[in-house]
Amino acid sequence: MSRIKAKTPSLCTCELLTKEIISKSLSGLRQIVASCYGPSGRLKQLHNGVGGSICTTSSSSLLINNLSVTHPILKILTTSVQNHVSHFSDCGLFTAIFCCHLIENFQRLNLSSATVVKVSNHLLSLCTDYLNSETCGCRISVDFSNMKTLRCLVQSIVTSKPACLLSKKEADHISTLILKAFLLTIPEKAKDFAILGKTLIIPLKGERVMDSTVLPGILIEMPEVQLMTFSIKKLPSNALKVALFCITMSGEISDPGEGTLVVTYGVSLENAVVDQLLNLGNQLISDHVDIVVCQKVIHPVLKQYLNQHHIITIDRVGISLMEPLCEMTGTQPIGSLNLISSTSYGYVKDLCSTNFGSKPYFHLIPNDSTVCTLLLCNRNETAWNELKLACQTAQHVLKLTIREPLALLGGGCTETHLASFLSHKVISVPECILKANDCTQPEYKIVANAFCNALQAVACSLEHDKGKLLADRKYGHFWSVQPDFPPDVKWQDLVSKCGCGLHSNQEELNWCLLQSIHFAPQNYPLQQSTNSLKDHLTLDCFTAKLHGLQVAVETASLILDLSCVIEDEN
Amino acid sequence: MAAATAGGVDSALQAAEVLESILSGSVGPEGRQVLCTKPTGDVLFSRDGGRLLEALNVEHPVARMIVTCVSMNQNVTGDGAKTFIILLCDLLRGLKAITEKERGSFGGSIPSQERHWKNCCQWKYISQAILTFQAHVLDYIMAQYLRKHFLTIFSFSGEEKKVCRSSLESLLDAYFCGRVGRNNQKFISQLTCDYFYKCLQHEDGKDEMIDLVDEYFLELCTAVTGLPVSSSKIISGFVIHRDFSVYCPADGDMRIIIVTEPIQPALSTSGSELLVNSEAQFQASHIWITEKTKTIMKDLQSKGIKLLLSSVKQQDAVIYYAKQNGISVVEYIPSEEISLLCRIIALSPFIPSWATSECHISDAALVTFCRPILLNSRRYVHLGLLSTHSFIPHCLVLCGPVQGLTDQHIRAFHGAFKVLRQVFKVLYLSYKVQRSNQNETSNSINSKENKQSHHLIEVYRALFEKQHLDSVLMSKDNPSRTQSHLRGTPDLVLSSIESENDIPSTTLTQTQKIKEDFESLLCSYPNKIGIVDTKEPLVAINCSCNGDFLTDVPDDHLSVIEQTCKMSKTAIDVTSKEVFQDTSQSYCTSFIQAGSVLPVGGHFEILLHYYLLDYSRQCQKPEVSMISSLIANALLSLPKTLYKAKRGNKSFCHVYLRTMHALQAKQGVAGSPAGLESVACKYQLLTSVLHCLTKLLTFDLVISINKQPQKTGDEESEEDE
Repeated sequence: MSRIKAKTPSLCTCELLTKEIISKSLSGLRQIVASCYGPSGRLKQLHNGVGGSICTTSSSSLLINNLSVTHPILKILTTSVQNHVSHFSDCGLFTAIFCCHLIENFQRLNLSSATVVKVSNHLLSLCTDYLNSETCGCRISVDFSNMKTLRCLVQSIVTSKPACLLSKKEADHISTLILKAFLLTIPEKAKDFAILGKTLIIPLKGERVMDSTVLPGILIEMPEVQLMTFSIKKLPSNALKVALFCITMSGEISDPGEGTLVVTYGVSLENAVVDQLLNLGNQLISDHVDIVVCQKVIHPVLKQYLNQHHIITIDRVGISLMEPLCEMTGTQPIGSLNLISSTSYGYVKDLCSTNFGSKPYFHLIPNDSTVCTLLLCNRNETAWNELKLACQTAQHVLKLTIREPLALLGGGCTETHLASFLSHKVISVPECILKANDCTQPEYKIVANAFCNALQAVACSLEHDKGKLLADRKYGHFWSVQPDFPPDVKWQDLVSKCGCGLHSNQEELNWCLLQSIHFAPQNYPLQQSTNSLKDHLTLDCFTAKLHGLQVAVETASLILDLSCVIEDEN
Repeated sequence: MAAATAGGVDSALQAAEVLESILSGSVGPEGRQVLCTKPTGDVLFSRDGGRLLEALNVEHPVARMIVTCVSMNQNVTGDGAKTFIILLCDLLRGLKAITEKERGSFGGSIPSQERHWKNCCQWKYISQAILTFQAHVLDYIMAQYLRKHFLTIFSFSGEEKKVCRSSLESLLDAYFCGRVGRNNQKFISQLTCDYFYKCLQHEDGKDEMIDLVDEYFLELCTAVTGLPVSSSKIISGFVIHRDFSVYCPADGDMRIIIVTEPIQPALSTSGSELLVNSEAQFQASHIWITEKTKTIMKDLQSKGIKLLLSSVKQQDAVIYYAKQNGISVVEYIPSEEISLLCRIIALSPFIPSWATSECHISDAALVTFCRPILLNSRRYVHLGLLSTHSFIPHCLVLCGPVQGLTDQHIRAFHGAFKVLRQVFKVLYLSYKVQRSNQNETSNSINSKENKQSHHLIEVYRALFEKQHLDSVLMSKDNPSRTQSHLRGTPDLVLSSIESENDIPSTTLTQTQKIKEDFESLLCSYPNKIGIVDTKEPLVAINCSCNGDFLTDVPDDHLSVIEQTCKMSKTAIDVTSKEVFQDTSQSYCTSFIQAGSVLPVGGHFEILLHYYLLDYSRQCQKPEVSMISSLIANALLSLPKTLYKAKRGNKSFCHVYLRTMHALQAKQGVAGSPAGLESVACKYQLLTSVLHCLTKLLTFDLVISINKQPQKTGDEESEEDE
């Protein structure tokens, strides 16, 4: 019952960004996300006041999903990060930090929002054009004949999630497993378009990380009751026939339709249905089916009857397993209790029962399939969740990389490189661009400066231990130095490797401090790094980062362009 | 006692000014976005005035009335809500200034209550005068003077008339400038223009196509959040916003059917009983059902059906046998999408018959492909539909970082098609142009015209009677006031007295006859009347109406036209009677030609301002002249707002003076290439503002009541619903 109530008038607030409360909460949000960034990021513990589980994380998706943001402007920011993450899984923190910095930097400029929005849009197009061009100095192409690059990519993702609590060795192991699982999902016989298979993640909490493993096929948890009745009988043929049902076999009376059913005394519909199920059982037996899998419940009578005839029954597998099961066995999910066509059966190579941890599992081993299972172990619940997230992210990134075989240099190098590129580019802006954006040369430079500062600030967020941050003038890469260094030492002796690991201190690179107040304009073009692949590079997903960059600038523009908020309070 | 608020200009102006102050931030190309939030957590970016006004949930009754007027106008034209408020504000300000001047001349001798009543009488009179002014003077100026400045969106190549792409682009550019965020204007405008051309089969079908897009824009757009706006694209074919239940890949053309009910027969239908006598019978009936389903699906397969689109859930058995027979199935399709599909491919739903062994498929359509498409992390069905005669199916995928933005773009896209519909439509004005050739069709127009003019006379008569009454009323109140009033409007009162005697009975009867003729013709040519251009014998008329300012019309005719115009102004005149009785003379409606556009940036307003001012100078009647200059000055408010932030050469004064000089020198006004806007939309906007103004002026008191007002056609009751 709804009551008709007069609508209350909405609340209209203008000049939002200048309000102290918003700038405060914006910088608060920025500090939260920035402190989580990178391999040495600080962890956040999320818990609600009334108890419940505590979640320790540093990943953007968990963090932002759980933050209860009240102000509409911050809500836009967080929603756009969430939407980005739902598409690309990666680079959520990057997007959030960059967007916050952009808003804060532009806010200080004292220019009209129209100019800022137009110029930043143009700067973004310069960046995306550069990143998409062959001459781009901060991207490398991924070589699929060599696993090195892909491995670096996965490793960078796993190590950037410190809440997984992995040691170096464990991280390597997990990265290898992720890559192995991914390779198993690639079909062998590639047609003109290949459909990737699926990796199912099975949780094993409280086990050692090194016990994690990848298995081909599907693991289904075995209910305790079935342990007694399950008699492993090696079947003669080298393949087992599988029937997969998607309808319930519990003996329910099906929907009688819109009319009424009149049942004569003495007639039991339940019996009729059970008889029907047993008939079905007979058909399955005569068709020499070895395994019956049902999405829903199988009636115990039928189960027992089938077991007597050495047919293994697995029920309640759930909807999420149906698709991988169909794909692996080649069956067609059966939606009818009678008139089953023999073409709808599928096959598996073998079925065995194994124990992982303390639980027994059915292991369906396929003949030749792209479905595999990743058994993921970690010490506790929250660390396992974070590890699972890292695995899913890595899988997604690998899929994206297959589509676009490029990777960006990680460890802050892409950001500083882009900033250096832009600052070189804006030394002389053509008149036509100024006219198209309706601004003057100094205005353009001020906005560009704020943009570059925001990019560098993202790179600086990687450093959480008060170290000094440098950029070199030759490649525009990012370097960090221990905080307590003796005053009279050359930079070259302090730095060892740049953020992404592509360059070392062997070259004379002309370093300068990043956090200097004055933004040094780059007077000469950046050199493209020689593509000699090192063993340990930090890499980022190209597609995710490129889109993250675009989304961050677009979101910042949206927020800056707001003149007022109308809040409907009904 | 119910609370009462005074009506009239003051309260209306107060309300309108508040609305104006809220909207002013988002006006014009420099305008900024407004964020609308709901307690549910939804956010919406908007620069759409109508939407913002609705989001405000204003309580003030007068403001609510204004909001209703705005949304009514916007439903038709798709644009112009912000301009509406600005114009209305300025008109009210102008009116207030006039009254204050008058009041000043009377001094403060009259008690306030009495003054209030008197003001109300005056408002009522003014509001009616504005209405008649709009119908006659404004239309006359539009048709006679402004026309020569119109540009057209069409490009002519020989006989063919085509929509000029660059003109359409600048029209859409200008529209999106006021509707979406600054960094996406160009892109969205380009996308909409591409969409228009991709869907357009041929020029003649454009109206039908625009109607279709307007009606089904929600089904034709898919919002994808989390991607940058620049990832938006147009895809050919149609996207069903559901996933496959069964997907069987197939190549080449495939036959599809649509079902709206379950294919599997139910055990019992509604209103019937199934008597179960034995367990075997129950089992047998189950088997029969399954068998029937199997046969139907087999039969569909044998008839070459490859895809089954269902608006309801189908049973598991149907899905199973569909898969067996290689038929793809999509379930739960929303009814709007089904109806759009039916409309595009002209297909009626398939009804399975369980009685016969073979089912009869009356209708099956062909699609060129059918495959899954991944949008917004969801799998949808992408159909390659064959185009119908007017619409080549295309879908728009609009991306944005947040839903609030994609929603804004979808709405702006919808509005763009409303604007396009207005642009391509002929807009008839109530002012008529005389012409001499006669044939059946022209007769019909003529008769319609006469009917209108008869109506017009009635309107005027009513107005003058009222005014007469008012003055009588006033004379009772305050003799000195009446005198001044009479002094102010001597001819009008005189003519009103005359008019009552002068209405010839012959006109009435004649009009009645013509009206009958017209109606019979209307029945025989239901669609042809509006499309004057296509009729061969009417080319001459078009020349005289649409050509370069009536160049083909001889001078003596012009004088008659002017007389007619005078007639429309003063309504009752000896000449007018003659004109009406002269059956050899005939008139055709003047109209704003389809595709008429003007450059943006207050061009329309400045031009109309110039001609109205000119008219008010020449006009003999003080109140007509007063209204004319009132509207003329109010019109300038829009360009003033637009150029507010501009400096130097682009400031309002510069633009205004330049245009004025050019007009006085009879030169063509140089249009800035920045963008175009539809004359029809602008004109409709102006008339809606005037109607709203008259509505605001006609009531004197707002009484808030506790129960629902009775539906009596009363103005306030309409607002309160």
